[in-house]
Amino acid sequence: MQSAGSPISAQRLAGYGVAAIAAILVLYPVFYLLQASLDVGDPQVRPPTAYGFDNFSGLFQYPQILLNTLTVSFAATVMALVFGFVMAWILARTNVPGRRTFEQLMAVPYYLTPLLGALAWSMLGAPESGFINQIWRAIGFSGHIIDINTPYGIAWVMALFEGSVAFVMIAAVMKSMDPSLEEASQVMGASRLRTMLRVTLPLVLPGVLGAGIFVFAEMLGSFAVALVLGTPNRYYVITTAIYQLVQQYPPKIQTAAAMGVSLFAVMFVMLFIYRRIVMGGSYVTITGKAFRPRVADIGPLRYILLGVCVLYLTAAVALPLLTLLWASFQKIAVAFPHASNWTLDNFRAAMSMNAARSALTNSLLLGFATATIGTVLMGLLAWLIYRSRLPGSGAIEYVVMFPQAVPRLVFAFGLMWAWVVFPIPIYGTIWLLLIAYLTVFLPLGVRTIASVMMQIDKSLEECAQMCGASWGFRTRTVTVPLLVPGLIAAWLLLFIASVRELGASILLMGPHSKVITPAIVESWFGTSTELTATLALVQTLVIAVAMVVLVLVTRRIGAQRVD
Amino acid sequence: MQDTKPHIEVRNLEIYYGNVPAVRGVSFSVELGEQLTLLGPSGCGKTTTLRAIAGLEKPTGGEILIDGIPVYSSARGVNVPAEKRGLSMVFQSYAIWPHMTVFDNVAYGLRVRKTSAADIKDKVAHALDLVQMSDYAGRSASQLSGGQQQRVALARAFVFSPSVLLFDEPLSNLDAKLRADMRIELRDLQHRLGITSVYVTHDLEEALAMSDRIVVMRGGVIEQTGSPDEIYRLPSSAFVADFVGSANLIRGRHRADLSTGGTIALETKAGDIVHGMAYGRPVGAEVEVSVRTVHLKLSLERPTGAVNVWPARIEQTVFQGDFTQVHLAWGGQHLIARCAAMEPIDVGREVFITVEPKRVVVLGG
Repeated sequence: MQSAGSPISAQRLAGYGVAAIAAILVLYPVFYLLQASLDVGDPQVRPPTAYGFDNFSGLFQYPQILLNTLTVSFAATVMALVFGFVMAWILARTNVPGRRTFEQLMAVPYYLTPLLGALAWSMLGAPESGFINQIWRAIGFSGHIIDINTPYGIAWVMALFEGSVAFVMIAAVMKSMDPSLEEASQVMGASRLRTMLRVTLPLVLPGVLGAGIFVFAEMLGSFAVALVLGTPNRYYVITTAIYQLVQQYPPKIQTAAAMGVSLFAVMFVMLFIYRRIVMGGSYVTITGKAFRPRVADIGPLRYILLGVCVLYLTAAVALPLLTLLWASFQKIAVAFPHASNWTLDNFRAAMSMNAARSALTNSLLLGFATATIGTVLMGLLAWLIYRSRLPGSGAIEYVVMFPQAVPRLVFAFGLMWAWVVFPIPIYGTIWLLLIAYLTVFLPLGVRTIASVMMQIDKSLEECAQMCGASWGFRTRTVTVPLLVPGLIAAWLLLFIASVRELGASILLMGPHSKVITPAIVESWFGTSTELTATLALVQTLVIAVAMVVLVLVTRRIGAQRVD
Repeated sequence: MQDTKPHIEVRNLEIYYGNVPAVRGVSFSVELGEQLTLLGPSGCGKTTTLRAIAGLEKPTGGEILIDGIPVYSSARGVNVPAEKRGLSMVFQSYAIWPHMTVFDNVAYGLRVRKTSAADIKDKVAHALDLVQMSDYAGRSASQLSGGQQQRVALARAFVFSPSVLLFDEPLSNLDAKLRADMRIELRDLQHRLGITSVYVTHDLEEALAMSDRIVVMRGGVIEQTGSPDEIYRLPSSAFVADFVGSANLIRGRHRADLSTGGTIALETKAGDIVHGMAYGRPVGAEVEVSVRTVHLKLSLERPTGAVNVWPARIEQTVFQGDFTQVHLAWGGQHLIARCAAMEPIDVGREVFITVEPKRVVVLGG
């Protein structure tokens, strides 16, 4: 017999064990980040000799960076919302041909990574060498038609990729709206336009607003596009400024930390507001039920809307990929087509060059390790938070979801600062990257697994318990088998996220632990456009393979839904 | 009688969710082989009580004993985990594991108990036979209909010979016809197996048809405990009278002067005299009685020789198939009568209600 006083069961042990690991992973670097931001003593001495808020008040010496960040983020958010709203409306509410296919394709920009988009659009839209501007001059004009190395160029590329996030959020709101709300308005005698203005729009508005806030927070923390397109012109936003401050000699760690903390604080507030809007529930449109929205028959207009969809996907997916593909087979990427310009040397170089090869190998290894360890860790965490009813699981949820609000670059900065002083020398090794990935992808993994876990009726586990099965036995025979599709999906998502990770890796990788995405950036600034394009393509191919498997797996989840 | 110790005993069970009470001091016992039903409206605490017996819910206070041994006791700090209590349960959602075959579902409890493969085969075959699912053993569980899942869940619950079977509204997800069939089958099976069982339902007919004893719960406390017949015939409170079947409640002043051998008389506000029976319950100055709607007899002529004869007017009749529900105005209050095979009567007609005094039950006690 077991008494209530000493239930040190395997269950509790496992629960509090993983909770402790998660807490250390998240809170340890955050502590050092905060400490550095408040350190006003001698920057060479650790631990700090004096504390204060001077670093924060010192930030006002950089008004330009603040202005740049707001300009880019605001412009990008507006554009992303327009893309997202228009696409969501077309695909959710009109009878445009091929809606289902387009809806699935809308996820592709998100997986292509903004970095790839920035590289490709730089080749397309650089004022002198960009393809588009070359064509512009070739047909008789002078100067350039577009300049991608401007704030609006940066915003354009960011918006193209974040547009698919806005699309998903806004489309979800449009789909969860009970069509009878609109039908009721029409039955009462209101015209279509009046219904649209007085019923549809007010109901969708909170969702659009929520998406706007979410996207804006993401834009504030985004890094890759501004790095590729902004830094050549010394145009810095806050994330690239932090990177610059840490990388320069001597580094300005304290200022960078203060910037990071401020950025994180703003994002935290925005995400909090976002949650309030979404969870507020004052609008009954979000009932959690999926309705079949009424689809408007728009007649021949639908071919124009089809064109809009094709245009967006061309700008966000087809054009960048074709550009990279073209460049990877050229001796000189930005020259006009010529037979002697074709070559396979870039692929040979990418495969034989030591740096590139080891970076790719490291990334794949890290991807496998992060995905495998992460799935186990995050699976246990998801179970702990959403199923175990162990005391304190609510607090653990907050800790686990915390990295969501922190830009990965800032988080990596905290990690770097934390692990430099760690007695075991893991700084500069691949192990630190593994720790970093496991930390920053906690929200991604836990949410993915939790969403499948929530679909599994609790009584399936309870029934096993009533049959006399211990926690270990029923986890093995009931919970895990039912979770398998969700675990595979989480594994693949973690793998993809690791292979394409930039913000954390660029700060944490050492000279002997290079990974692919920062290597692509290094190649862009240091080696050649053609080789960069080749590396980016290889990376995309790896991600694409993982994506295809993911789609096949999630299809199966949908097919054999567990009730 | 060698063993008079109850099989399950629940003493002063209390379950709070934070500050919200779900169960507030519930005590009852279940005899060996008895089928006890916890009956009540949703939110009355019946399922919570059942889950506490199962060990799936941790109570806040009280004691639960199985075979005289505490499996939960707040005073002694005992809380045996569900898997070690030796009970079994049929869930409202059936909880059939979709990733296993029917055979594997049923064999689960036996495999947990490390039964030999040959034994497992025999026992599962026998259990599936009992629930008439032998032909489906190899089927994937996700291909079964609701009724079939129900049968598999049942076989899975009793195959490893648990000492107690717990049922959490097992029939509530079936359609009405199937529910009626399963009710009889379940009762039959329970008798053949002779397993002690605790059954939770909000369905009155189910409770009456299946139980040896019924515990009626409301708002986390027990309203009445008794055999189905007692509960139906002699409800102790207005709530039980109304929840268990449909009843008319009549209040009035006790007229001791008119009460004769065995019957109690009361005078309503409108001045009508109602004769009823107290069945040993205390009778105060104010009396409330309950009369089942089926026990009101209607006639057009004044009957002779009856004790309770009340003139009333028909307000409305609602044809409901097996019976007709008649709404009557009687001395400033409304009564409802359910009459089987009744000739249609016009609304507004004056009729006479008669009811035997033994059907007029004094509430309270």
